[in-house]
Amino acid sequence: MERVVTINLNGNSYQLEEPAYDALRAYMTRAEAALGANPDKAEIVRDLEQAIGDKCAGRLSPGKTVVSAIEMTRILEEMGPVEGEAEPGAQQSQGGAAPNHEPYRPARRLYRIYDNGAWTGVSAGMAAYAGLDVAWVRIFWIVSGLFTGGFTCLIYLVMIFAVPVASTSEELAAAHGAPFNAQEVIDRARHEASRFAETSAQSWRREERRWRRSWRRQERHWDAGWGAGAAQAAAAPAQPVGYVERMFAGLFAFVFSIITAALLIAFLIAFFSLLSSGSVLGWTPPGDVPTWLVLVVLAIAYAAISSPFSALQRTSYATLSGRRTGGATDGLATLAIVVLVGAFAWVYSAEARDFIEQGYVVIRDFVTYWSSQG
Amino acid sequence: MSVADEQFAGLRKGLLEFAILTFVSGRTSAYVGDILEALAPTPFATQEGTLYPLLSKLRREEFVDYQWVESGQGPPRKYYQLTDKGSGRLGELAAYWRHLTSTLETLGR
Repeated sequence: MERVVTINLNGNSYQLEEPAYDALRAYMTRAEAALGANPDKAEIVRDLEQAIGDKCAGRLSPGKTVVSAIEMTRILEEMGPVEGEAEPGAQQSQGGAAPNHEPYRPARRLYRIYDNGAWTGVSAGMAAYAGLDVAWVRIFWIVSGLFTGGFTCLIYLVMIFAVPVASTSEELAAAHGAPFNAQEVIDRARHEASRFAETSAQSWRREERRWRRSWRRQERHWDAGWGAGAAQAAAAPAQPVGYVERMFAGLFAFVFSIITAALLIAFLIAFFSLLSSGSVLGWTPPGDVPTWLVLVVLAIAYAAISSPFSALQRTSYATLSGRRTGGATDGLATLAIVVLVGAFAWVYSAEARDFIEQGYVVIRDFVTYWSSQG
Repeated sequence: MSVADEQFAGLRKGLLEFAILTFVSGRTSAYVGDILEALAPTPFATQEGTLYPLLSKLRREEFVDYQWVESGQGPPRKYYQLTDKGSGRLGELAAYWRHLTSTLETLGR
């Protein structure tokens, strides 16, 4: 049983067995390396993709929709190694090795740097990247924050999540980086994109499988005893991950934190409005259903809806931290967002203030009731 | 033949451009598949991996140009033609080739 990968070759999609895909990916990577700084590289790569696509199409029929690994090996043999354009005289029969391709230099990248006095490291990282003094970058953030009514603060917030921290000496060197030209940026982007497509496809598949496993485990735990499985979260890859993965993990962490926080807020609002007024957003449960049952159903629904998001959030944080378990960061982030939103609501909306006070009254009454019972 | 294949690879490689220009000059336009097919039985047999980069170089040097032509099946294809500059280049190559062969013939005498 083979896994099948669907790919896009110059606008047409084809289904390949996974080893066939790996072989094709390796061939294209070698081809791009061999083409080096060829000005027509992008076009040649497209031509090659189309030629491979044509060859794939030639081997497929309505009854056969997947290109096998053996067929791909044949196709790539037919294609032959891609030969770079060496200078006249320097060209030898190298069989597609990269004769005049420069070794891949560590890229200058945007990292967060915890330097002297850095709070989040975003400004220090930007300063290192642009070769400016960090004070200018800090001033830029403050001034732009004032002028855009806080919009750039949001960008800053996203950057805290999305920009990885430079933790190794290699990363610190890359944070300061060497001067580069436009061509390098393009080459690097291609290189990164292909590498990311390659590794992320694998790692997301892996994550998905792991998540499904943990979900099943969690279900079993739920059968055994309520809440026991809650501690079983999706585990994250233990191996160090690349820059782009960390960036995406950061963005996902940001997005999923907001989603889980929004769900928690929605749950709290529903919970307290049920307790205090007996209705949710104008909907009153049928008279013959006791309130406690509605609350239990609400709690179960919340747990069911939020658990996949929590798992994804946890995975993202774990990927960011590079550890198998992400610690309590994800939960703390959710709480922080809830508290922040609550504080904003308290300050800016009288209705929300009433509601939060109501919630407080409900809790106080409940505690009084509880202690009077005890 | 296979020994000759190995030994004269460099020689053929140098002449591949000549062979392609000659082939393209013989018709109004040529698709990569046509070129590969025509060269396959000859000593200049080559593969896409070599041909595409070479054609892109020839186009950059303005010896050939291409047009997109819709194909019956699949996406449109590039059909290559020789440019005027390309015919000039081919003439130069042919003249130089004659010069080389006549030189080789006279050297042995």
